[in-house]
Amino acid sequence: MTLYRLLLLAFPRRVRREYGEDMVRMFEAQLRTARVTGNSRLRLWCSAAADAVFYGLAERFGAPSHRPHIDVRRRGRWRSWMDSVRLDLRYAIRLFLAQPGTTFIAVLTLALGIGANTAIFSAVDAVLLRPLPYEEPDRLVMVWEKRQAEGVLENVVSPADYLDWEKMNTVFESIAGVLTLTADLTGSGEPERLVGAGVSPAFFEVLRLKPVEGRFFRQDEIIPGRHRVVVLSNGLWQRRFGGDRSVVGRKLLLNGVPHEVVGVLPSTFEFPDPTIEVWAPLALAGGTNPPSRTLHQLTVYARLKPGVALDQARTEMDRIGGILSAEYPDSNRTHGAWVTPLDEHLREPIRAGLLLLFASVAFVLLIACVNVANLLLARAASRRREVAVRAALGAGKGRLAGQSLTESVVLGLLGGTAGLLVAYWGIELLRQLAPSDVAIVGLDRMGLDMRILAFCAVLSIGTALLFGLLPAWQLAHQDVNEALKFGSRTAGGVRRRLRVALVVSEIALASLLLAGAGLTWRSFQTLLRAESGFTMDGILTSLITLPGARYRGADKLLTTFDNIEQRLKAIPGVVAVGGTSALPLSGMDGRRGVGIEGREPTPDAPTRAHPRSVTPDYFRAIGVQVIAGRAFSSADRSGSPLAVIVNDTMARRYWPGQSAIGRRVALADSEWREVVGVVRDVRHWGLDRTVNPELYLPQAQMPSSALVFTLRTSVPPQSIAGAVREQLRAVDADLPLSRVRTMEDVAAESVAARSASMRVLAVFGALALILAAAGIYGVMAHLVAIRSNEIGVRMTLGARPADVMRLILREGVIQAAVGLAIGLTGAVLVMRSFRSLLYEVSPADPMTLAVVGVVLLTTALVACALPARRAMKVDPVSALRQ
Amino acid sequence: MPPRISSAEIDGHLPLKPLVFQVLLALTDAKRHGWSLVREVQQRGGFSRIMPGNFYRTLRTMLAEGLIAESTSRGDQREEDERRRYFELTRLGEAVAGAEAARLEAAVVEARAKRLLARSRG
Repeated sequence: MTLYRLLLLAFPRRVRREYGEDMVRMFEAQLRTARVTGNSRLRLWCSAAADAVFYGLAERFGAPSHRPHIDVRRRGRWRSWMDSVRLDLRYAIRLFLAQPGTTFIAVLTLALGIGANTAIFSAVDAVLLRPLPYEEPDRLVMVWEKRQAEGVLENVVSPADYLDWEKMNTVFESIAGVLTLTADLTGSGEPERLVGAGVSPAFFEVLRLKPVEGRFFRQDEIIPGRHRVVVLSNGLWQRRFGGDRSVVGRKLLLNGVPHEVVGVLPSTFEFPDPTIEVWAPLALAGGTNPPSRTLHQLTVYARLKPGVALDQARTEMDRIGGILSAEYPDSNRTHGAWVTPLDEHLREPIRAGLLLLFASVAFVLLIACVNVANLLLARAASRRREVAVRAALGAGKGRLAGQSLTESVVLGLLGGTAGLLVAYWGIELLRQLAPSDVAIVGLDRMGLDMRILAFCAVLSIGTALLFGLLPAWQLAHQDVNEALKFGSRTAGGVRRRLRVALVVSEIALASLLLAGAGLTWRSFQTLLRAESGFTMDGILTSLITLPGARYRGADKLLTTFDNIEQRLKAIPGVVAVGGTSALPLSGMDGRRGVGIEGREPTPDAPTRAHPRSVTPDYFRAIGVQVIAGRAFSSADRSGSPLAVIVNDTMARRYWPGQSAIGRRVALADSEWREVVGVVRDVRHWGLDRTVNPELYLPQAQMPSSALVFTLRTSVPPQSIAGAVREQLRAVDADLPLSRVRTMEDVAAESVAARSASMRVLAVFGALALILAAAGIYGVMAHLVAIRSNEIGVRMTLGARPADVMRLILREGVIQAAVGLAIGLTGAVLVMRSFRSLLYEVSPADPMTLAVVGVVLLTTALVACALPARRAMKVDPVSALRQ
Repeated sequence: MPPRISSAEIDGHLPLKPLVFQVLLALTDAKRHGWSLVREVQQRGGFSRIMPGNFYRTLRTMLAEGLIAESTSRGDQREEDERRRYFELTRLGEAVAGAEAARLEAAVVEARAKRLLARSRG
């Protein structure tokens, strides 16, 4: 209702005071009725906006009879200027009311342009411009392991390095490591698999958070024995415990072990990974084993001491990195430390995408401006005589131009007001489109607040000046004598060139935007078709973890998973079932150093691979092709010779030009395993990522307690999801079920951010095309109209209607071609700076540019053909008489 | 006894805009507040969507012309709502509505005479 009250500001205060409440209540009732009857509320809002603006202005300016007469001569300079502005305003509004059709189209065009810009700006503001939603965010940094030799600046950190940093540094007020984990919540209610994080107790200090219930961790709670405590996210607290305050002090069974809840996080807390719901203290030291210096797993956050600059922190961490390299040459010889602002880390990945949207929506507004400028020019043309009379009676040029500009500003503000409504809906739409599981810190703050309203107001006035200057200049500079003469034959020269310039710029802008959208779309399509290395359709996936507390020992794991596999295989419609410890595109992975027989790893060229355990049927189930040797079979069990399968990249990297079959590799410290097969590369980390060396191990020889089962089905995969859940429950009712998803869903999620911005871009492209088509039509129609005289002469002199048609079309095509050339060149230049958003598509992709060219030329031709048809029907006699 | 309303004064208001006429008709039965007036008028058909701005401007014009007046006491006791503004018909309003109805009736009689209505009435 706040929005409706804003709309009511169009009414004078006396009307608002008397009837405002009634109107609000009436509108509320209408909204309720619409909700009940299922009528479109958007349409209701649009009518309400038009109604408020129209009648509000009518109340203000429409009934002048009882208004006091203004005597300009008696006022001071300022007052008289104010009076003239007021007169201009009133004049402008009467004019708009007198031509409601034109006004409506202009306001609608502006509303779309300004509204879309305001909506996107609110996203840009919330995500990129405003400080992060933490206290003193400019002091927050992330600390990474630096491996300059490998070109890696941001690697996760080993626990031992982290502990040394914590001890040695002098620049951080607080520093904390974070390790993402999973935890199965059992006991009361449905068993559930949660994503959690182990954090140093200082973590909440680094971000300066305050618990809404209870407390955060104490320093001594990282000591084994005291570490069975957790803090809940606000979301989990609400969802699982209904916001019950007595949850503090209660014990939860996590992975089968009781943990005491000590606190709850505030709902306003946004973490880069929104899926984390339980937080536990991270015990790095004090266990039986010393903390590892080779297992890289921690993400490190820190808060700079007041007054410490980023460069200072980097120098300090370089110093510490140097000391550690000298002290532990085996593991740290090439490792340093690197500090980045948290701000940059969170925003950099989305900056380019958002800016591309912002740039394209700005072009939509420019096209809208050209359209409105053209409308105003047309109107100015029809008012030439009137203006000339006023000039003849003594109105100065400034006065005339001022009056025209006032009109534009009023129009701009009307467009802006209606644009707020567009923005309101636009923001709702953006919220829905935003990928839900990609963390965009700050996106929640998106909305129509004062900053955005101010932006909208400035944009409206700026837009008005942009489209209003041309008509104002024209009005002020016209030749009074010419205009006062009868006949508009002399409309000629300048004005025509102006309009041709408008058509050209309109096509240039539209082609630029369409080419940008087209290139992005092409690259998205290429990405979707990218060689994934496995089959996407007809596959259902489900992650199953056997809790270590109840499933102790390899034998128990293997028999249980075997039992599950048999049961899943028995479901009607299932063709093959396989399990893997790391599903492609799901974000599950790990990397290990491996030994390659006959090849010594050097610090500069370490031999590494990504290992995963799979069941014998996995490759068949997910459709990964075996290109050499064999797949695993049930014969590869514990006790039989150790076997591995490598991917193509690994085979080519470590045995270039030779067969990998029969070679031997070793994992960390265990025994040699023989390569029995080579499989095709799988794009594990994302369709646009490069492939790393991968190593497949038989689950029977390297049991994993968590397997993702992949089911190849002959029926729609989603249709057997229920049966899958049933079978799992039959094996163990306490088994937490993670989501049962199709492989296509997994893939779609991995490109969710791209596809969301793609859809927004498509909307802008369509909007630009529609506006441009309307604009070109408007200009061409007017050009033909003012040339009807010339056409009449031509036809009298023997030109046939077809010749006239050809004449008009030829000019249209030439103008369109010039506009296209400018626009497409511009697009190639602009898209170069957005190259990071393109996937295997060149900014000058001929296919895309050709399609855009054809679409726009066709649009221009159709927009010209209609006026040209009219021109063919010009009656020479009446045209000449005009 | 209040003075008679001259026929010239009544004719000055004719013909009425359809919305004005419907508002007058809706007020002949009872005093009403804004939203109940709207519902009544909508139910009589013809005005599928009256928006607040348009509606209240019409009411204000009718108030200024003396066709309706604001009511001090509520007409409909079931609607317990003091913040609402109630409207009632003035004598002028009643006379004008009657005159408009007569005018329309004359038009209907003529239409029937010319057999415009014959088909629809069977």
